[in-house]
Amino acid sequence: MSNRNPLDYSLNKPLIRGFNPINYLFKDLPLFLALLILLSFGLLMLFSASGQSTSMVSRQIIFILVGLVLLLSISHLKPRSYKNILMNSYWLGILLLIYVLINPASGYQTSRWIDLGFFSFQPSEIVRLILPLSIVAYLCRKEMVPKFQDWMITTFGALACSYLVYEQPDLGTSIIVLTSGLIPIFLAGLPLRIIISYFVVLSLTLPVIWTNFLYDYQKERVYTFIDPNADPLGTGWNIAQSQTAIGSGGLYGKGFLQGSQSQLDFIPESHSDFIFSVIGEELGLLGILFLFALYAFILWRVFRIGFYAETNFERLACCSLGFIFLLFILINVLMVIGIIPVVGVPLPLVSQGGTSIVVHLLAFGVILSTKKTQL
Amino acid sequence: MKFVQDLKRDEREIKSLKERSRIIFLFISIMFCIGLFKILQLSILDNTEYLDDSDKNRIIEMPIHPARGLIKLQDGLVVAENIVSKDLFIKTEFLDSAEKELDYLRTNIANDRKLTYSDVKNYKKDEKVLLLRNLSSAELAKFELSKEFMPHISLEISLRRYLPQKNLFSHVIGHLGRLSSEEKTYLPRFEYPLTSFLGKVGLEKVYEKELKGFPGLSLMEVDVYGKKIRELERNLPLTPKDITLSLNLKLQNIARTELANRKGAIIALDPNTGFIKAMVSSPDYNPNTLNGSEIGSSFEDYLREDSPFFNRAISGSYPPASTIKPFVGLLGLEEGVITEDTKIEDKGFFQLKEDGRRYRGWKEDGHGQVNLNKAIVESSDVYFYELSSQLTIDRISKFLSAFGFGKFTEIDLYSEAQSILPTRNWKLGNIGEPWFVGDTINIGIGQGYITSTPMQLLSSISAIATKGKIFKPKIVSKIGSEPLMPELLHEIKIKDQQHWNIIEKSMIKVIQSWNGTAHNLYTEGGVVIAGKTGTAQIKSLTDQDLTVREEYQEVRDNIEDRDHALFASYGPIPNPNIAVVVIVENGESGSAVAAPIAKKMIEAYQKITFIDEQ
Repeated sequence: MSNRNPLDYSLNKPLIRGFNPINYLFKDLPLFLALLILLSFGLLMLFSASGQSTSMVSRQIIFILVGLVLLLSISHLKPRSYKNILMNSYWLGILLLIYVLINPASGYQTSRWIDLGFFSFQPSEIVRLILPLSIVAYLCRKEMVPKFQDWMITTFGALACSYLVYEQPDLGTSIIVLTSGLIPIFLAGLPLRIIISYFVVLSLTLPVIWTNFLYDYQKERVYTFIDPNADPLGTGWNIAQSQTAIGSGGLYGKGFLQGSQSQLDFIPESHSDFIFSVIGEELGLLGILFLFALYAFILWRVFRIGFYAETNFERLACCSLGFIFLLFILINVLMVIGIIPVVGVPLPLVSQGGTSIVVHLLAFGVILSTKKTQL
Repeated sequence: MKFVQDLKRDEREIKSLKERSRIIFLFISIMFCIGLFKILQLSILDNTEYLDDSDKNRIIEMPIHPARGLIKLQDGLVVAENIVSKDLFIKTEFLDSAEKELDYLRTNIANDRKLTYSDVKNYKKDEKVLLLRNLSSAELAKFELSKEFMPHISLEISLRRYLPQKNLFSHVIGHLGRLSSEEKTYLPRFEYPLTSFLGKVGLEKVYEKELKGFPGLSLMEVDVYGKKIRELERNLPLTPKDITLSLNLKLQNIARTELANRKGAIIALDPNTGFIKAMVSSPDYNPNTLNGSEIGSSFEDYLREDSPFFNRAISGSYPPASTIKPFVGLLGLEEGVITEDTKIEDKGFFQLKEDGRRYRGWKEDGHGQVNLNKAIVESSDVYFYELSSQLTIDRISKFLSAFGFGKFTEIDLYSEAQSILPTRNWKLGNIGEPWFVGDTINIGIGQGYITSTPMQLLSSISAIATKGKIFKPKIVSKIGSEPLMPELLHEIKIKDQQHWNIIEKSMIKVIQSWNGTAHNLYTEGGVVIAGKTGTAQIKSLTDQDLTVREEYQEVRDNIEDRDHALFASYGPIPNPNIAVVVIVENGESGSAVAAPIAKKMIEAYQKITFIDEQ
């Protein structure tokens, strides 16, 4: 601990002097409690959205427990110790993405899933978190300012992942993967001139991408997003039903388990990507604001930890993960209320989905591990 | 100094990180605010609109159809009821792929019954195809036991109209049928779903509204798949009304038995009220097979040449023939053209002064000296040729019109035909020729242009029975618990009431006199009946070169050309309580064929009323 910053040393000083086992175990108790509240809230909403299916909820509970164990274990590791693993995990992500293209799980139209028998998962969900962490680890592998080739390598690394996801094909997720790769690059201090040249290249290639690389169904999604009512039983139907759910919820909502849209299956995918509209319908605007407040509190703790972390790697990792967390919330909410086209992003820590839960809790483990606690 | 350098670098990095975080945060915040505004718009501004939408999603309105009203007779006997019918259906989409199931159904359950579906192409998607109608309890048991071999075939239970007396009331009650494509366009879908039945003919059609009632409404909550979750609200249906008929089962049975295997019609009514006591048209049909409550002939099977659907009692038009003679005779008395004693010489023909044309009577040698009484009793044609030629068509038309000739009787059934009472204008308009005296002479014996429906003839003859009162004929005596009152349509005023008695006396003599045309009905001390026979020619017999006998021989060879036998009567005298008209198509002789039926009916009715009074 030779390069400890005296400033953050004083701030990270525990309020209560002496050994506090709870504080030691959970690193940041407010954050941990907020996560628990969010997870419980999510379980309740899942119970409602799944048509009161206890089997789905108990499955989710198992994943949460697995995730929490992983969270606590990682949070007590020193970031330094797994920095290299994180950097090389990039190749694991690439391998998974290639594997899913070659050997996709049967029963799906697109090659997005890997089937492990007892459960299946989308590698892109893992890559979304592996990619930014490996980029941060790569950029901070030496105690020095990244050079031009570092920016290029990381950019192309992100592009490679994004392209592999696009090949599945999954345009929405590939954009999200690219964004989650670009956020840490930008935070790490990508020089302005490179940013400008990226924009130039992007604006030149965008028309080419639209005409040559987009599938018809992807264009269709963009069109229906522009006018969802044009085709109420086709692609826009999901959005129309989801808006009806949130709109009919009003300020106070129809009451827990009382939402007709969600209980009578009018909301498609109500237990996973569209669980936000169940919250809106049953708990109303107040429920939505409560959820937002919970997310805001969690993010505040994350950035607080991040800004006062010891090393640049830790700071960048925390902030990147925080922003990606925020980005997923934003994309999911905007998608459910019909502002952006439908992409496969679950509501973090609320939607049903084992991979999503475990990966997000892992990320919080990384965040918590950057916080120092006194023994 | 490394420490200070690190410190400075840390500070620089933190500063850059915070700056860049702010940029991302600003961008995300803007997007977030847009989202928040959208949420506010959805849940606060447009809240009611979306509540409506979500209710429209989940609530469907289901009509509750009440069971159709019963039709009863006055003694409470149910003549049209609803029975539970168990039918097997298959969805159209499975019809092609379920050949095995259909085979199983054919061999194991239907046995010798044919499955009712025909051509797959005729059915629309999402429709159900009826496979087997009206399962017997044995068939039902077999189906329930082997259901798993026929997973796509479903059992459905519905109410069907059933007439326990089958054919007996076919023309009166009529049958139900599926909506026609035209009816589908204008009937409200709520009351009449596409698969519903409605009254097509007879009382089922006339009293459709009363019998159907009005469906109630059930608000059902459904899920996205249309599965019913629970009932939210229920408005009870408007219970339909039962209908009571004035018909008498025994009379109806006699009439049907007597007409069996013949074409014709019998109607009887109470002249004092207008309530119909019997109405039978032959051939008839079994409405149950059309109502889907019994297996048998289909609609197409009944589209035969002898038209069993045709209600001859109200829709058949026949020449009234000699049954018109009492009316013409009454007019002669009224107009003073003749008195009771005026006599003419009947030599077997009447010769017109204008052109010397001869009109022959039915009796070749003539009736000799004939007065009004004898003319009616023996049915002298020549007497009425002479009388009508003096009365002229204008007076005849006006007088007969008062008795209902040429008018609708306004009976409570549809498809009543209008009888024809020709006038000068009518002939000019319809035939395009002026009126000739010869036409009037034909009208005088009920031939020529004049036609009557059995119902109209009955209504007219009942006016003689009541001495001038014509009541609106009614089959229904009670709707729900509300009895229908007799309606006096018209009262015929004549100058001398004695004239009624003269005509009635002659009509009694038709049976009582040894020379009466219906003397075969006479029994000593039996019910006194007034009546008039008629034999309606359908093949003209005016060829002057042949004798009547010769001509007739020719006509007899072809059944379709034979005369219709008519008998119009009422009884008992002096207080008639029933009037009967019998028409037997191609029955040849009114006295031999039609009159005995009428007598049977009148006598049976006396027994019925006698028992009732006891």
